[in-house]
Amino acid sequence: MNKESFNRRDFLKSSTIGVGVLAASSSPVSIMAKELKKDSTKNSLPAIDVLVIGSGGAGLRAAVAVRKKYPNLSVVVVNKGMPSRNATCMAEGGINGVIDFENGDSNKLHAYDTVKGSDFLGDQDAIIKFAKKATEAIHELDYAGMPFNRQKDKSVARRFAGGAKYERCNYAADKTGSIMMHTCLDEAITYGVQFLLDHYLLDIATNEGECEGVVLLNIQNGKVLPVLAKSVILATGGYTRVFYNRTSTPFNASGDGIAAALRAGLAFKDPEMLQFHPTGVRNGGALITEAARGLGGKLINNKGERFMSKYSTRLELAPRDIVSRSIETEIRLGNGFSKGMDAYVLLDVTHLGEEKIMNELPQIRHVGLLFEGMDLVKEPIKIRPTAHYSMGGIEIAKFDDMSTHLAGLYAAGETSCASIHGANRLGGNSLADAAVTGKLAGEGAGEYASKKKNFSSGKHAKELAKQWRAKIKDITNSSSNTSEFYDLREEFGQYNWDNMGIFRTGEKLQKHIKILDDIWAKYNNIKIANPNMFYNTALIEYLEFGNLILLARCACLAALNRKESRGAHTREDYPKRDDVNFLKHSLVTLKDDKLHIAYKDVVITEFAVEERKY
Amino acid sequence: MKIIIDRFDGVKKYIQAYILDINEVKGKTLLALLQHIKRTQDISLNFTSACRMAICGACGVRVNGHSYLACDTKMDDLLAEYDYPDTFRISPLANFKVLSDLVVDWEPSIENLRKVKPTITAKDEFSEKNGCTQTQEEVDTIKKQWDCILCGCCASECNKLEADSSDYMQPFVYTHAFRAAYDSRSKDSLKHLKPAINNGLWNCVHCQECADRCPKGISAADDISNLRVLAMKKGLKKGTGPAHAEAFLLDLENTGRLNEIYLALRSEGVLANTTKIDIAYNLMKAGKMNPLHIFGDDKIEGHEDLIKMIKAARAANKE
Repeated sequence: MNKESFNRRDFLKSSTIGVGVLAASSSPVSIMAKELKKDSTKNSLPAIDVLVIGSGGAGLRAAVAVRKKYPNLSVVVVNKGMPSRNATCMAEGGINGVIDFENGDSNKLHAYDTVKGSDFLGDQDAIIKFAKKATEAIHELDYAGMPFNRQKDKSVARRFAGGAKYERCNYAADKTGSIMMHTCLDEAITYGVQFLLDHYLLDIATNEGECEGVVLLNIQNGKVLPVLAKSVILATGGYTRVFYNRTSTPFNASGDGIAAALRAGLAFKDPEMLQFHPTGVRNGGALITEAARGLGGKLINNKGERFMSKYSTRLELAPRDIVSRSIETEIRLGNGFSKGMDAYVLLDVTHLGEEKIMNELPQIRHVGLLFEGMDLVKEPIKIRPTAHYSMGGIEIAKFDDMSTHLAGLYAAGETSCASIHGANRLGGNSLADAAVTGKLAGEGAGEYASKKKNFSSGKHAKELAKQWRAKIKDITNSSSNTSEFYDLREEFGQYNWDNMGIFRTGEKLQKHIKILDDIWAKYNNIKIANPNMFYNTALIEYLEFGNLILLARCACLAALNRKESRGAHTREDYPKRDDVNFLKHSLVTLKDDKLHIAYKDVVITEFAVEERKY
Repeated sequence: MKIIIDRFDGVKKYIQAYILDINEVKGKTLLALLQHIKRTQDISLNFTSACRMAICGACGVRVNGHSYLACDTKMDDLLAEYDYPDTFRISPLANFKVLSDLVVDWEPSIENLRKVKPTITAKDEFSEKNGCTQTQEEVDTIKKQWDCILCGCCASECNKLEADSSDYMQPFVYTHAFRAAYDSRSKDSLKHLKPAINNGLWNCVHCQECADRCPKGISAADDISNLRVLAMKKGLKKGTGPAHAEAFLLDLENTGRLNEIYLALRSEGVLANTTKIDIAYNLMKAGKMNPLHIFGDDKIEGHEDLIKMIKAARAANKE
């Protein structure tokens, strides 16, 4: 038997809980410690019952769900760095879920608003269950210690969010995401979830139609490590970093889970559905919250006009996709300032006065100062729409347990596509998605792992690890002193923005497929001029970039073939929604390095398809 | 302009200087500057970052010895703060194990957080099915502490950790213990208090550096003080720390003057102090301690008013 240098005991030692601590803590964990002693004599691969990849809201929720329901199972959360560095903590607005049923609101109405918001591409069976579970999630988070803002009657405070008929967006100041994520992290820590820090997901290993584990890269020392797992939960977030230079997504959300799932043979559902938020700062795309427009912020073009009157009677308060398209139209008409990726319009809140801005919008004033050096108390700030959320993700087979079509593999949060958000996500539904699907995936993966008696042999995982070792050696074994890959990544972001951004046409997308193929070819020839394997962040960025290119290629293929405009997907050559031909999901798969597209009907149960009007 | 960075390649530590045009520095954040160096000069430079808008905590580093959140720090402000120097020195956070260049190890911090069990156990009247109730005022008592993003800036500045980290935890760990112990929904503050006490709560040296450098304006020092007060209220009075605090109060009530001799004797007991006679001798020689005070000393002027204030504070606390 091929002796692996890293056995199961070492694996757990390296995860943050020491073996001594394991033995000293509560009984279920002690069982694991005993097991460890037994196993340390064997030369087996490290093995964990449930492995969670990613530690945003969804991943942490999933890990806690396993610990609560199946305390005898070992759960390890794998993360690229420290668990709290994720996209969940960047959410500001709130988390949707009906908790007040007295004033006419109901789970059904939440479901309807979500279906309508999705431009009818959402699967209604999943959405109806989701809305119900969202209510439960709010109470569970409250019970777990999340400090929501409160109403006079001591219940959780709620406000309106875009596309909702009732106040059902529950919030904690203007940092609901951060507070929710830290609630989940605290809970995971308290419940004995173990963390494997600084490990990067390279691939998912499969064996006869079953997930047998993953291959990880230990960032701290550069070693490639095959790990066995009875079940794996992917919660690695979205892929809007394909618009590298203009997105509100954190640097480390690079769609690693979706890319790995694609390589493992799974389908990528609705990859073309990428949401844009109207107001990001010009310089990089960090978010200026919707509240700025909600409080009366005006959008101004280079003629000094408040141009939104041309596009919507609701002016700046029209839905996100409409405002985003209006701003881009102005820029294309030559009514914006500057050119190319630097183009922008202005968001003016100066008329609100210093006191109001300081009280109600202190965060965005800070963002303005930080990225543009502009004080929006004194002057309007430069903004442009920014890539924000990916509605597409790994195809989910069953919403109830968030299982995928690969036995033992589960997905949750932005990584997954159930599909709750269809072609357009409503504000406040992303945190609800993370909380709800995270818990479901945890319970599903826990049940699967508890029923499965043995770990797989790990034959495929070892094979994959071998391939990755060779590949990484090849990539880093170079003396060239260039950083051309950073230039390529910038170029890639700009091409995606120009050809696959807010406005799309068949012609541009056709051209873009070729461009992406070229970028892919160039990418594969690039070497990283840093052979030092101790925490090689350039290597990680390189690997992340590879995943982003793969996902952009999928998105482009699906966008080219979806000849209609629906939600966030706008085709200028097909401006109307086409329910006859396209009331269906795109499914992109990868086989022998080639992408294939197929379609699947949208699940329609309770709500008839109608025109989406606001 | 010269940027000197403390490097660590996994084996050896060294420093490296990067020369930049002032125009490459101005208008950028510190994080953008680090990215710029990585992209244009040295691909092997390692640091971590994620959100770039001061909410994920990934990019804490030190500039000229003080901790900053790199994404939240404008180079223009830094230049002004240090009076337009021609050199900056950037180092990894102090009091953490360095993994590579500016990257530090967070594993021990998670283990410390685990010790204080940072999640509340909700009171019996609440349920997972129906959630909890709380007033906004009750939320407000713990709201500030929830701004903690685990960036490590406080720990980097902590003088107690610098001196001896074996019997103390990072300041933010106490902040996490505070927010669980003080939550009005919480059934049992002892669950968080006891491990906090057992892991150094009374060892804080009150230097206030953690509060001074927190990019979110949180005072871990205050949280530590408040946890101590809560611990004493809950009857957790064992040890030198609580005895020291009580000796202070007693002195205030007796004379209003700090009696160094009594303070030492009451805090640590007669036996422990016999080993410190040399220190006492030095203090007396330097005029810092009056040996006659063993017989007690005079009350300060306005002592009656002081007693009134103590009484009022006690009454207010009871309400």
